[in-house]
Amino acid sequence: MSFRRSNASSGMGVADHCKHTYLELQRKKVHRYVIFKIDEKKKEVIVEKTGGAAETYDDFRASLPENDCRYAIYDFDFVTEENCQKSKIFFIAWSPSISRIRAKMLYATSKDRFRRELDGIHYEIQATEPPELDIEVLRERAS
Amino acid sequence: MAELAETYACVPTTERGRGILISGDPKTDTIAYCNGRSVIIRRLDRPLEVSVYGEHAYPATIARFSPNGEWVASADVSGTVRIWGRHGDRALKNEFRVLSGRIDDLQWSPDCQRIVACGEGKGKSFVRAFMWDSGTNVGEFDGHSRRVLSCTFKPTRPFRIVTCGEDFLVNFYEGPPFRFKLSHREHSNFVNCARYSPDGSKFITVSSDKKGVVYDGKTGEKMGELSMEDGHKGSIYAVSWGPDSKQVLTVSADKTAKIWEIMDNGSGKLKKTLSCPGSGGIDDMLVGCLWQNDHLVTISLGGTFSLFSASNLDETPIQFSGHMKTVSAVASFIQNGQNIILSSSYDGLINKWIQGVGYGGRLGKKDNAQIKCFAVVEEELIISGFDNTVRRYSLHGCECSDAESIDVGSQPKDINLAVQSPELALVATDSGVTILRGLTTVSTINLGFAVTASAIAPDGSEAIVGGQDGKLHIYSIRGDTLTEEAVLEKHRGAISVIRYSPDASLFASADINREAVVWDRVAKEVKLKNMLYHTARINCLAWSPDSRMVATGSLDTCVLVYEVDKPASSRITIKGAHLGGVYGLAFSDENSVISSGEDACVRVWRLTGQ
Repeated sequence: MSFRRSNASSGMGVADHCKHTYLELQRKKVHRYVIFKIDEKKKEVIVEKTGGAAETYDDFRASLPENDCRYAIYDFDFVTEENCQKSKIFFIAWSPSISRIRAKMLYATSKDRFRRELDGIHYEIQATEPPELDIEVLRERAS
Repeated sequence: MAELAETYACVPTTERGRGILISGDPKTDTIAYCNGRSVIIRRLDRPLEVSVYGEHAYPATIARFSPNGEWVASADVSGTVRIWGRHGDRALKNEFRVLSGRIDDLQWSPDCQRIVACGEGKGKSFVRAFMWDSGTNVGEFDGHSRRVLSCTFKPTRPFRIVTCGEDFLVNFYEGPPFRFKLSHREHSNFVNCARYSPDGSKFITVSSDKKGVVYDGKTGEKMGELSMEDGHKGSIYAVSWGPDSKQVLTVSADKTAKIWEIMDNGSGKLKKTLSCPGSGGIDDMLVGCLWQNDHLVTISLGGTFSLFSASNLDETPIQFSGHMKTVSAVASFIQNGQNIILSSSYDGLINKWIQGVGYGGRLGKKDNAQIKCFAVVEEELIISGFDNTVRRYSLHGCECSDAESIDVGSQPKDINLAVQSPELALVATDSGVTILRGLTTVSTINLGFAVTASAIAPDGSEAIVGGQDGKLHIYSIRGDTLTEEAVLEKHRGAISVIRYSPDASLFASADINREAVVWDRVAKEVKLKNMLYHTARINCLAWSPDSRMVATGSLDTCVLVYEVDKPASSRITIKGAHLGGVYGLAFSDENSVISSGEDACVRVWRLTGQ
């Protein structure tokens, strides 16, 4: 049984399943995106939803709730100026301003601990409104 | 996509009691001047093509083209000189902190290697000459004890520099490296401008004591004076030589410009007096001039340019003007088949522009009322200022009828006219609204919440009032009473502007929290949301005439155009529309957006299909 250390400030642990799903996205490219949720009762971060490799960015945006916070990993494919196909992994901290303050606090304090579990993230984005999750924002960060 | 179609440029900032210096490039017939933090470069033959350089962090004071036309050196009130390329992307070549106070004048040496700058030095150096690429000093300039207003470089070798200032002195320096040679105290008041003739044989200084003195260019000795009979009756603010080095143009506070012929012995004889037609009053005082090729340009205190032709001095001058201060509102309508744009600024100035042509005139108002809120429908204008009155004008060509004003009890926050029946007006004040029919108050209603914006439907049957808390209250108007129909909550900040679409089926509202929302008027539901792409408060909003597009302008200098039937993410962004923020927006037809902002310019943008 793995010893679960609790998080420094908010006491959330990270489920093993999260790390495994992330590695699947990174190494085997099975998923396009993974959405994580904090389960308050079990006091840990769990995987809420994964999207298959064929799904698009719009599908990903539609899976994010409008008034609750989430963490997400998205695998972004694009073509650079020199015509190379590249793929970068984005960590998205989705914290809409219309969500409950308690939710925002929880997700904000647990974010660091959670992110440290996931090695190999290229870019991090914090989004508080739907316009901040435009595909243009990702494209600009990646180039 | 949107591209800039026309710019109605601002005019240089002027100050009473001081002259301004404008410069030009004779080879390309362009002039350069400064307003606020921008440097404006205009072509005299194509007035709608204006290029604006906005990289100064402080108000810019003077800009000059280098003799070879490739570079521009511009200076600001913090004592910084920026040298940038004129063409292409205006790459910065160098930036130097030259003086510790404002820079009043700047000159290039004829070989484009040295620059001399003068101004206020706070007791230390008032003048500095330096190499343009390295910034190393090329001389010591002592001899002045007060602000140095002008400096000039001899355009031929051997190089000399002349400076003149508020200590009534005219100093002559030889070099390089420049050293003090001699000083003249011919003037008994501020010496406003010193200029060398293009052939370097003479230089002239003009002063607030109404005199002009001519000196020898090489030795600096006094040669003669501008004749005092028929001389100026007020301070002479600026002087400019003609290209033949035999004539000068001077402008003065007595509202005239005079052309003098300078003889070889240095005395000046009056050749012609030019006076510009004006409205009378101090705004006609002439404060700046430039003689470039065949053009004589004079600028008045009110910002009016008069363009005379040097070969035909009796011809009436071409006059054009613009705004000097933030343009807080624009409105567009069609008159005689032309698209007319009216722009107003808080100092009470309303300018008329004709799309495709340019400046159309200043709306003559008999009073100098300041303007805070401005609404116009066809030939009716309604204005409110910083006092408690609302004024109505009707437009006849370029003149406004006498204002009739009415007191509404407290400072109006917003004014709207019902498009189809312009005699009905809705005035929003701090705690309520007032309905006006013509000039009589039909009713004043205290609404009980802090009102920040309002709108009235084109047919006058409905009104929407927005509050400090972000709630939109919809009222129906029956006679003189307002009945509340609904309260809409979506905004998360005080409402800044509400507008009905021209076909009255939709309305759009925008708030201080950067969000705009389009609502369906009948169903009172959100039609388009997530219009959150601005990064600062939204100041203004406009609908296209076919009610298909909404444009929002914000303090973040961007204008966003959304199509109501498409999602908000497919928007057209115009970045950097106006330095300092966009304050006025209007559509003149389906494809043209007019915007105005803090840089005192009005721009017309053409939208091309995506």
